[in-house]
Amino acid sequence: MFSLSYAWNELHRRLGRTLVTAIGLAAGVGLVMGIIGVSQGLSDAQTKALSPLGSVGTDIIVTRTVAPTLSTATTTTTTFGGFGGGSGGGGSFAGGGGFFGGRGNAALNSSDAAALDAANSSVITDLAKLGPPGTKFTHDFFVPGTLITFPSKAVSDVAKVKGVTSAVGALSLDALHETGTVPKITASVKTGGQTISASVKPPVLTAAQQAAERTCIEGLINKQVGSTTTTIAGSAPGGPTGGGGFGGGGGGGFRFGAGASSAFAKCLTPAQKAYQQNVVVPEQTVNEVLNPPTTNTKTSTYTVAGVNPSNTTSGLVTKAQLVKGTWLSTTPATAATQVLVTTAYASQEGLKLDQTLSINSVKYKIVGLVNPTLTGDVSDIYFSLANLQTLSTNQSRVNEVLVSVANAKDVNAVAKAIKKELPGATVLTSKSLADQVTGSLSNARKLANDLGGALAVVVLLAAFLIAGLLTLSSVSKRVREIGSLRAIGWSRGRVVRQIMAETIGIGVIGGVVGIGIGVVICLIIGAVGPALSVSSTGLAVGASSVSGLVHQTTSATVATTVHLTAPIRVFTIVIAFVGALLGGLIAGVVGGWRAARLSPSSALRDLG
Amino acid sequence: MTEASTVESAGSAPGSPLYELRGVTRTFAKGSVAVNALRGIDLDINRGEMLVLEGPSGSGKSTLLQLLGALDTPTSGQIRFAGRSLENEPDQVLTEIRSKEIGFVFQQFNLIPTLSADDNVAIAMVPREPSRDKRSARARELLTQVGLEHRFGHLPSRLSGGEQQRVAIARALANRPEVIIADEPTGNLDSDNAKEFMTLLHDLHERSGVTIIIATHDEDIASTTQRRIRLRDGSILADTRN
Repeated sequence: MFSLSYAWNELHRRLGRTLVTAIGLAAGVGLVMGIIGVSQGLSDAQTKALSPLGSVGTDIIVTRTVAPTLSTATTTTTTFGGFGGGSGGGGSFAGGGGFFGGRGNAALNSSDAAALDAANSSVITDLAKLGPPGTKFTHDFFVPGTLITFPSKAVSDVAKVKGVTSAVGALSLDALHETGTVPKITASVKTGGQTISASVKPPVLTAAQQAAERTCIEGLINKQVGSTTTTIAGSAPGGPTGGGGFGGGGGGGFRFGAGASSAFAKCLTPAQKAYQQNVVVPEQTVNEVLNPPTTNTKTSTYTVAGVNPSNTTSGLVTKAQLVKGTWLSTTPATAATQVLVTTAYASQEGLKLDQTLSINSVKYKIVGLVNPTLTGDVSDIYFSLANLQTLSTNQSRVNEVLVSVANAKDVNAVAKAIKKELPGATVLTSKSLADQVTGSLSNARKLANDLGGALAVVVLLAAFLIAGLLTLSSVSKRVREIGSLRAIGWSRGRVVRQIMAETIGIGVIGGVVGIGIGVVICLIIGAVGPALSVSSTGLAVGASSVSGLVHQTTSATVATTVHLTAPIRVFTIVIAFVGALLGGLIAGVVGGWRAARLSPSSALRDLG
Repeated sequence: MTEASTVESAGSAPGSPLYELRGVTRTFAKGSVAVNALRGIDLDINRGEMLVLEGPSGSGKSTLLQLLGALDTPTSGQIRFAGRSLENEPDQVLTEIRSKEIGFVFQQFNLIPTLSADDNVAIAMVPREPSRDKRSARARELLTQVGLEHRFGHLPSRLSGGEQQRVAIARALANRPEVIIADEPTGNLDSDNAKEFMTLLHDLHERSGVTIIIATHDEDIASTTQRRIRLRDGSILADTRN
């Protein structure tokens, strides 16, 4: 075929030419490796940022959310005063919040909206219960945001779906933190001063009563005037509508002295006597505007989540994401006073490991700092699930089910099956979350894909061109040598093969050196690591119906900065090496073509 | 190994015709002008002859040498070499003939600068001898014959002109050719080295009986050979035997 020792001697005894050509190829190949590396780095960053579920061992998240159209109809009022609601955050659920197969979605949504409203409106600061005015108070309320809680039974229902390897329940809540001083509440109500007028109608006397009264009065008169006979005129004979007969019945011009009136009273029937004592003031409503006292209550919000301490590989946060400290204790009693805090929240709030957080008069020790990857559902503080359920009076309730699927390609099918099993469930897959991501990363990746490919091709072509030209020049300088070979009996094919062997050798050297250059480029990119921002509007926890309360929504948009790296893959190295070999081959073809055109007589002719 | 077995003459008995040229012309197109380098050459060369082609530049000496060396084909006329017609043969056949039957020695030695002396000899055997060890062994034998047993691994750049030309002779002999064609072999040598070289060539001729054709304009060399062919303007001016 060709002389290996000749090729080897050509390469190492013409080291300068060999290296120049090889380095030309190497530079091209190294650059291509860098380009591929950056492209893969962007792709990796995107994958990392875009499949947060995967990073926590989860393929699907099952939640219950209220349709946005319905949630806008809810109203939220900030209410002071003790109108029910426990200080621990009300736990009353008026239906909804579960998965009901038999009902239509609209009905579900309206009942859920009501349930969610009820759950979220449990944020009521009962000033009356906080202590006497002037008492300083702090309180944390836990509300489910838009993610309705549902019985944990759903977790086992999901676990039964074919293709699901594990289903883990989790609770992800908004927390509203209030601090302030109990204000003095005073109300002045004015009463009295009204004129009360009442019309009184005495009861109608019976005939017997009239007769008795008459007799009594006549007796009194007779006593007074002796034997004078007087006829009392005008007294009604006893009509049912006996008007004011009594008063108006004065007749005959009798005049009673002052003493006589009391004497007359003796003649009244018992009912008439009692009636005069029973005059009742008419019922009335006193309307007084009570101005609520001004308070210095301050609210802040954060997000909390409950994870199962004994499941370290699947959940809203996993042990792998632990940056510092330890994981929650698997002993429930110990875990009940432990929390994990995200590094971001810790630095924002100046929290340190082993510091204690006081939440509703219970002290929690920060046992670990975690750094969950970019996800739509990052919480600030992680409790043990059981603990958070108790704390938020959500016993045996969760609002997220994290599902792992056995086979990645079944994710969509499993998601469908879960939706069928739990009508009304919101089933999110990694991909649907990924689609919501925007930011410089996705732009950069697009750029890398569009431009990087073209750039890589241009760089490779340039390297091939350089290698080809250098080989061409080398062959031209070896005219006499090649002519001599032809003269002493080397065929055209043999000469071409020999040239090709040399340039492929150069390609191999170029490949090896180029891989070295590529590795260095990738390492430099990794070290410099330009920052890329990623933002994701994923599983927004802080939401519409709560937003009125908490002033701002929480974790609606999660932004993360990803540092660009250029990973080196076996694939990249293979591409680089093949690229360099191809360059050597192309150079060989060019040089061989030139050599084949040389006449053997040039060995004699070109004696210059 | 004996000298006879290493430098043996291939083919038929000495004295039988090796080259028969009849009316050979060679015309080159230089721009629009046709240059007649050879104008009807008739020439017979027998096996075992040692002859010199003489003539000034442009006499057609090099052109004739290329035709004799199967490096080129004539524009018209016939060339028979060892009983075969060369004039219409394709490049592969000519290559085969060169490889098998013809050894070349050039004015500039034309050694491969990146190969050691023994590799330079061995490279000529690559098309014919697949075994690298056999090539190497024969190369060293031939180098020993030309007195370079102490220079096997030297690169041409580390050899004197005379030594380089001896390596070239060893290379020319590698495939046991019928004929050695030498183009101004002493042109780049000083007179001592030239003399030494010619002595070597004569020894070789005497021992092996290989046909040797030398193109030269060096009178000292020309005078040492049995036959001298003088060329001028593409024609044979004189063909003399000593």
